Amino acid sequence: MSSSLLHPPSHLSPAVALELSQSAPAVLRNVPSTNGTYSISSLWTAAETPELWITYEHLMLSCLRTGDEESAHLCLKRLTQRFGDDNTRLMALRGLFQEAVAKDDAALKQVLDEYESILTDDPSNIPVAKRRIALLQSLNKPTEAITALTKLVDASPTDAEAWAELSDLYVSQGMYPQGIFALEEVLLITANAWNMHARLGEVLYMAATANDSGSEKYLAESFRRFCRSIELCDDYLRGYYGLKLATDRLIETAPQASRPSKGDTGLPPPEIETVKRLNEVATAKLSEIVRKSAGGEAGWQGYDEAEVIAAKELLNRDAANITR
Amino acid sequence: MAQIPIQTIHRDPQLFYWILIPITVVMILTGILRHYATVLMAAMPKKQELPAIREQRSLLRGVNLRMNSHNISPAAFQARKDYLVNAYENGAFLKEPEKKGQAAPNPMTDPAAMEGMMGMMKGNMTMIIPQTLIMGWINAFFSGFVIIRLPFPLTIKFKSMLQAGVATRDMDPQWMSSISWYVLCIFGLQSVFNYLLGSDNAASQMQQQMGQMAPGAGAQMFGPGVDPHKQFRGEAENIAVVAHHYTLDGVEKRLLQSVKV
Repeated sequence: MSSSLLHPPSHLSPAVALELSQSAPAVLRNVPSTNGTYSISSLWTAAETPELWITYEHLMLSCLRTGDEESAHLCLKRLTQRFGDDNTRLMALRGLFQEAVAKDDAALKQVLDEYESILTDDPSNIPVAKRRIALLQSLNKPTEAITALTKLVDASPTDAEAWAELSDLYVSQGMYPQGIFALEEVLLITANAWNMHARLGEVLYMAATANDSGSEKYLAESFRRFCRSIELCDDYLRGYYGLKLATDRLIETAPQASRPSKGDTGLPPPEIETVKRLNEVATAKLSEIVRKSAGGEAGWQGYDEAEVIAAKELLNRDAANITR
Repeated sequence: MAQIPIQTIHRDPQLFYWILIPITVVMILTGILRHYATVLMAAMPKKQELPAIREQRSLLRGVNLRMNSHNISPAAFQARKDYLVNAYENGAFLKEPEKKGQAAPNPMTDPAAMEGMMGMMKGNMTMIIPQTLIMGWINAFFSGFVIIRLPFPLTIKFKSMLQAGVATRDMDPQWMSSISWYVLCIFGLQSVFNYLLGSDNAASQMQQQMGQMAPGAGAQMFGPGVDPHKQFRGEAENIAVVAHHYTLDGVEKRLLQSVKV
């Protein structure tokens, strides 16, 4: 079985997911269907490993993504054989399968009802609670999803995944202060996650562009968040992209920002000299990343293609402004 | 140099087939049996109720805030600090808020603690019962046999270890009695079980003894007999005295110094 099946499949590109799911029948044939723990034959067959079951789970997710419901069902069946019907994680997986094969909204509503009946029986079933929230989102009920998520993070406040999801939901509703709060919670759990620093920078930038009150403060913090994310991860494309956007805007609004902030506890606004130099650094770094990644140089691959294109776009826009 | 005469004892070769091999085989089979008995008897980890999860994780949240407070701005930290300290002092996250002031329950009367102890009892039982039976079996049938001669010389100190049950003063310590073979099997079959059952098997009693000496450190934090409200109050104090530093202070200058284009 391929090792890429051991990684969570959520961020695989569609091509890789398709390849994985096409390999599903072969994988399912090669791996023994039952691995009975208590049978005599387990004395001489290879011991079952956690990796096997992780493979099944990820294979199932890839298959559902590409519409191979038959293989997905087989994976689910084998997992159920091994772990039983009442395993919380499996209940969530089964719900996911039903969501995937559901034809219309009525069928999805039925799945939702099922989740709710499971949760009334056992409110501590966190995987199913998360599925229910995801389903509420896909049924386009963000307010209900937010209510359910706030309940979930109240019960389990160390769940970074839930906080991040909550922040995304708040941001999608335009409630930036709440989204920022939730992202700060994520950072309290995973202190050195540079992608989370950059994400917080993005949300702060959005908040700064969206409203007028306190937008300078948001912008300054957003700028510093991007700096921190680059400090934690060299050559981080998203960080530099955000840094460039934030510094551009800081330079634009510089005249107003230069007045002394009146008695608030936050950091002083960044010096305009530093901002300008960092803007140059970000521009240079972005063009370096775009050039080297397009040239396919060793050590410069692995950037997301869409992100590189977006960076190129940003640089072009900049160049157009100068020539004009 | 006086050569020490090599002791020769004429043994019935049948001893080898009818004592040495049976003891070894029985020991291996008991180990396998014990492994499966433990697997069968192992209770599923008990599901925690939602309030209990909330209690533990809320405490962890405070710990996280204390450890990673440098990531958030002073204002955000102050808001969280005020909220958490207040909630901790009032016992807002407690599993059983009405029991706030009471002393910790006696672990013997707490059903959750009893369950843990029952688990330990079961583990011990699977170890003790077969051990007693086999020891009795060997004592009854094979005591006093000298079964093999080790192929290397040993000093006299090994006599008590290798010749248990054979009270002969002058016999060379190379000779080994059946009971000593049994004891050797107990401690020496670990690698055989690893091969047969995988490395995390429950066949060997060595691991069980280790487990008893250092019961899971994670259980200590929320174990029975610890008053959660006291833990919360301690954590509230810890948070209240944290001196807050903000990493983003001066990050732009640090970055300018470190980054090279």
